[in-house]
Formats: sequence, C-alpha cells, structure tokens
Amino acid sequence: MGLIARVIEASGIPTVCMTSAWDITAAVRPPRSLYVHHPLGHQTGAAGDLAGQKAIVRAALEAAPALARGEIRALPFRWKGPAAAGWEARAYTRRETPTTADGKPNRG
Amino acid sequence: MTHDGSQPGPPPDAVQYIERTRSLYSSQPPYRWLHHDPATNPLPWTPITKPIATSRVALLASGGIHLATEPPFHFRNDVSHREIPADTQNEDLRVAHFGYDVRDAQRDPGCVFPLTALRALATEGAIGAVADPALSFMGGIYSARLVRDDLAPRLRDFVLRQRADLAYLVPA
Repeated sequence: MGLIARVIEASGIPTVCMTSAWDITAAVRPPRSLYVHHPLGHQTGAAGDLAGQKAIVRAALEAAPALARGEIRALPFRWKGPAAAGWEARAYTRRETPTTADGKPNRG
Repeated sequence: MTHDGSQPGPPPDAVQYIERTRSLYSSQPPYRWLHHDPATNPLPWTPITKPIATSRVALLASGGIHLATEPPFHFRNDVSHREIPADTQNEDLRVAHFGYDVRDAQRDPGCVFPLTALRALATEGAIGAVADPALSFMGGIYSARLVRDDLAPRLRDFVLRQRADLAYLVPA
C-alpha cells in the first residue's frame, strides 16, 4: 500500500494511509500514516460498529493535514473486540486459509 | 519515522509482523519486504491544503472486497482492481483474500472498507464528498514490479480522473 501511496502522492494528490502494522509501514514509508492498535483486518474498526468505524476514519482524516513528511502517528484507538485481552500474542501466528467469495475454504 | 528520522517509535505493544512472518514461513525463502531508503528513494510529498470538510475523498482499499455480482480476486499476484459504486451497501459486498483473517470483514466489510462510514461523514459534513466509485484490490501481491508498473499507475490515473482532493488508503 505504501508503494501505491507514493505513486499517487507524486501525481499531486495527497494520500492518507491507515496501518495496524507499524513495522511494515516504517519500512515502506508512505507519505502519511495513521496507526490504529487493532488486529490486521480491522484497520478501520470492529465488525458491526459503524460508530467506531466513523470515529477512526474521521480522526485519521482530520489528523492528516498536520502530519510531517513520512510521519506515522498513533491514533488513540485500542482493540476492544471479542477476546481482546492479549490479542497481540496470538496475532499472525498461523497461516490464514484462503476463502472463496462465499467464505468457503478455497481448495484451489 | 519522519523523513528526517525524528519520529517516535512504535507503541511498545505493537506486533512485530516482519519477524512473525519470518517464523510463520520459515520453511520458505525469506520474504523480501519492500524497503524504501530515503537516501536513494526520496518520499513524494503533496501538502494537504484544502480543508477536509470540503475535500472529495477517494477510498482505495486492499482487503480483497468486491461486489457479490463480480468475480472474486484470485490468490496470487492478482493485480486487478474493482470499482465499487459509492452508494453500495455492505450486504452487496464480498471478500476474497488469503493474507488475513477475513471472518469479521465477511460480516462487515467496514472493518477494512469503510465506504459506509465515509458516506455518513459526507452526509454530516465532516468531509466534502466520497469519490465515486471507490477502488478495491487484493493486497496479496508478491511482485513489487507488478504493483509499480501496473496496479499503482492504473489506480493513480483513476484517482486523477476523479479529481479527488485526497486519497484515503486502507490496507488489510
């Protein structure tokens, strides 16, 4: 996503990137990034929580104009979804099963 | 970190994804994360000068979201994109992606594709408008060359034609 942000930014349109993977974003270095401390797959909020999604998107867009070039800034959102305690230890410790459009496992 | 390196580091409990990816796929050659060195690859920069409240915001998201009526993404180096009409309802969206746990996004695409949230923010006046259509693709692309030479310029040209004031990029 950082590479795409760079290409769009270079064309004269400012870009604002969400991230929940600080280390990857720091390596790729998009022009502006807002970090949310959520598991991957929830960069703009929890399922069924439209109010929370709106709050994250709004906070990101409103913070963006003040960001310095290349800055990653943490927004004050913490994961509160189901089984939130200790989610960091479990994150990304197994390979995900590819799914089809219907959510069935994709056996290729 | 900022371009001059003055940025504070990550929160102390941020997950180390690069390290975990290496452990998870230790039987395979190490994935080479794209790394931009500011000395050789300066960061493009376009200041945000227009107020957010009057900006036309383009949504670009890599979570593999697509219309139920369109083909899903396939799972390796698929650099196609989908154009999602800005008035699309969540129940008309599906997800096809191998790189993250998609169960919550299947229930509510707004986790990684906040089109409903952006529409509401436009109605409330927090942003000017949502660029129509939103753009979706599948971020599991192992070829930086394909992204650089094909997907990225195609998305850039689309956003330019939309006359968007700002591009809002959401990975998954």
